[in-house]
Amino acid sequence: MEKVLEVKGLTKQYTKVLAVDNVSFDIGEGEIFALIGPNGAGKTTTIRMISTLLKSTSGDAVIAGYSINKEPEKVREYITYLPDEAGAYKNMTGTNYLKFMAGLFYTDPNKIIECVNRAKEICGLGERLNDKIGSYSRGMIRKLLLSRAVMTKPKLAILDEPTSGLDVLNAIEIRKMIKKLASEEKMSFLLSSHNMLEIEFVSDRVGIIAKGHLMVTGTGEELKQRYNALNLEEVFERVVIENEIH
Amino acid sequence: MKFINLLQKELKELINAQMIASLVLIMAILMFVGNITQNAIDDTIEENNNPKINISDRDDTDFTKSLIETLRSTGAEVKEFDTEGDGYADILKNNDIKNLVILPEGLTETIEKNERPQIITVSRMTSAAAMSNISTGNSGAVELIQKSIADTIAESSGITTEELELIENPITLQDNTVVDDKSAEISVNSIVNKVMMQNTILPIIVFLLIMMTSQSLISSISNEKIDKTLETLLSSPVSRTSIITAKMLAAAVVALINAAAFMVGFSKFLKGASADAISGVVSDTMGVDEAIEQLGLSLSVGDYILVGLQLFLTIMICLSVSIMLGALVNDTKSSQTVIMPIIILAMVPYIISMISDINTLPMAIRIIVYAIPFTHTFSGISNLMFGNNTIFICGLIYQIVIFFVCMFFALRLFNSDKILTISLNLGAKSKYNRKKEKTKD
Repeated sequence: MEKVLEVKGLTKQYTKVLAVDNVSFDIGEGEIFALIGPNGAGKTTTIRMISTLLKSTSGDAVIAGYSINKEPEKVREYITYLPDEAGAYKNMTGTNYLKFMAGLFYTDPNKIIECVNRAKEICGLGERLNDKIGSYSRGMIRKLLLSRAVMTKPKLAILDEPTSGLDVLNAIEIRKMIKKLASEEKMSFLLSSHNMLEIEFVSDRVGIIAKGHLMVTGTGEELKQRYNALNLEEVFERVVIENEIH
Repeated sequence: MKFINLLQKELKELINAQMIASLVLIMAILMFVGNITQNAIDDTIEENNNPKINISDRDDTDFTKSLIETLRSTGAEVKEFDTEGDGYADILKNNDIKNLVILPEGLTETIEKNERPQIITVSRMTSAAAMSNISTGNSGAVELIQKSIADTIAESSGITTEELELIENPITLQDNTVVDDKSAEISVNSIVNKVMMQNTILPIIVFLLIMMTSQSLISSISNEKIDKTLETLLSSPVSRTSIITAKMLAAAVVALINAAAFMVGFSKFLKGASADAISGVVSDTMGVDEAIEQLGLSLSVGDYILVGLQLFLTIMICLSVSIMLGALVNDTKSSQTVIMPIIILAMVPYIISMISDINTLPMAIRIIVYAIPFTHTFSGISNLMFGNNTIFICGLIYQIVIFFVCMFFALRLFNSDKILTISLNLGAKSKYNRKKEKTKD
């Protein structure tokens, strides 16, 4: 499988805190990789470094052949990032928001229209896209943002807590959407989540991160066997406890 | 193309129905107040040119009758009333008038005895407003009556009209104003009245522009941070410099629109409110322009370009400082309070320039005040007018240096991790902290 993302010894040192320490993993084409970990484990910092929002203290990540340290502008052409609890411009209509975001990726008007039409189809908001985003529910905004994140067909879509704050039905819909895009369009995903059930359902491989260290990676089944656990929640618990003991 | 897309988005956010409505409202209020003031002044001028005199002749002699005829002969509209007693409030009320001049009984006899006669005036005061109490009816009448009585006394004493004129005005005044090595035959007040408007409008507009420009850019950045749209924007394939340039340019365009609107509104307002409006109609101001020219106080096109450049630099400094302040904000309350340093830095030179000449302040205070980059814009016109070109040019250079320093740090901040990691929570707890606490629970 062709590698879309290769993370090599990525480290982030803030003034007093080592937020991420020597993290390495990779993601193949069409693969959904999930980073799970407790609060303050370093998930969002790792994701922000890969998204070129934060500069790494050491290490590198290569996306579609481009280094986040050396060519961040080029990297941003191949990725999209959906932050945790992200909002959208409340005074814009859904359609105008999609047009604006597509205009940041492409200058060709036909390409922009193509992206917007694709996003309209994915989000399923129909006529409501003509209304101002300020009038949308949280679920509608999340669907709009997710469709925005995938409308440009990025090599890697980075989604931080993609279903946070959503009701069960909306969350299921979004998970299905992610799986479909990965399997049918070979889009790769890097997710982060607290929700182990979600991760078990949606991801191909999982990385458990705690205190800035990536403890273990593998498929859900591999990890359950390795830690003799019934589900990912138990795997997570054992990995974290094991890390604390040693 | 991507930059145009960003710029359009920023302009659409700033130029919305709310902004246009508030701008139109401010202009309408300024023009409305200006019109009211102008009308009040016009009424006063009209009354001055065609005075309406209400008079009560209680003496009823040939002298007082001729006095009233003299008043009429000047073109004044004279109305006579029969009154008695000193219940002046009732007299005005019953006759439905605002003022009255009373020629008391025995007036002629007093004059004939070569004693000083007494004239009674009554005026109704309806409010403390300056314009509502300008009434020339009584004062005009008293002036004319005084002159007539003086003529009568002079005639009986064998004094000619020319001699009387000399006694009343023994000197003629020749006002001269000197600026540097140039002088003109005009009073200082005439010059001040003429240049007051431009010297008043500019500081007000500069102050308002500083406030509005800073607030709009701080809000623009802080809203992106609070709504987490900034992260999405920064992870898209556009440079951070383009993002911040689009924000600055949009804020500058909006500042220019505001400046134009305020300029129109305040011109109308001050035209109505300034003394220049009165002097322009009542007295002959021909010669003031020539005097200003002669004194070297008139500004050339080049001077106006320099003032414009200084205004532009002031806005750019505001914008670069606002980027840094906006980056510190992580909640709505902080975004409203973080502008305080800019308000204070603009308020100090604004107030000082309105009440005093900065160049006459003690050296230590002058250095402190001139260290505030906005000061040079507030005092710019005055410095150019009075030939303080060195101070002006030094101020301009200082503003350019300050702009580049601020811009350097602003771009450095915006291009670093800090734009996402630093915060200054002056107000409520940030969204991030609230979320963290909630998760802990």
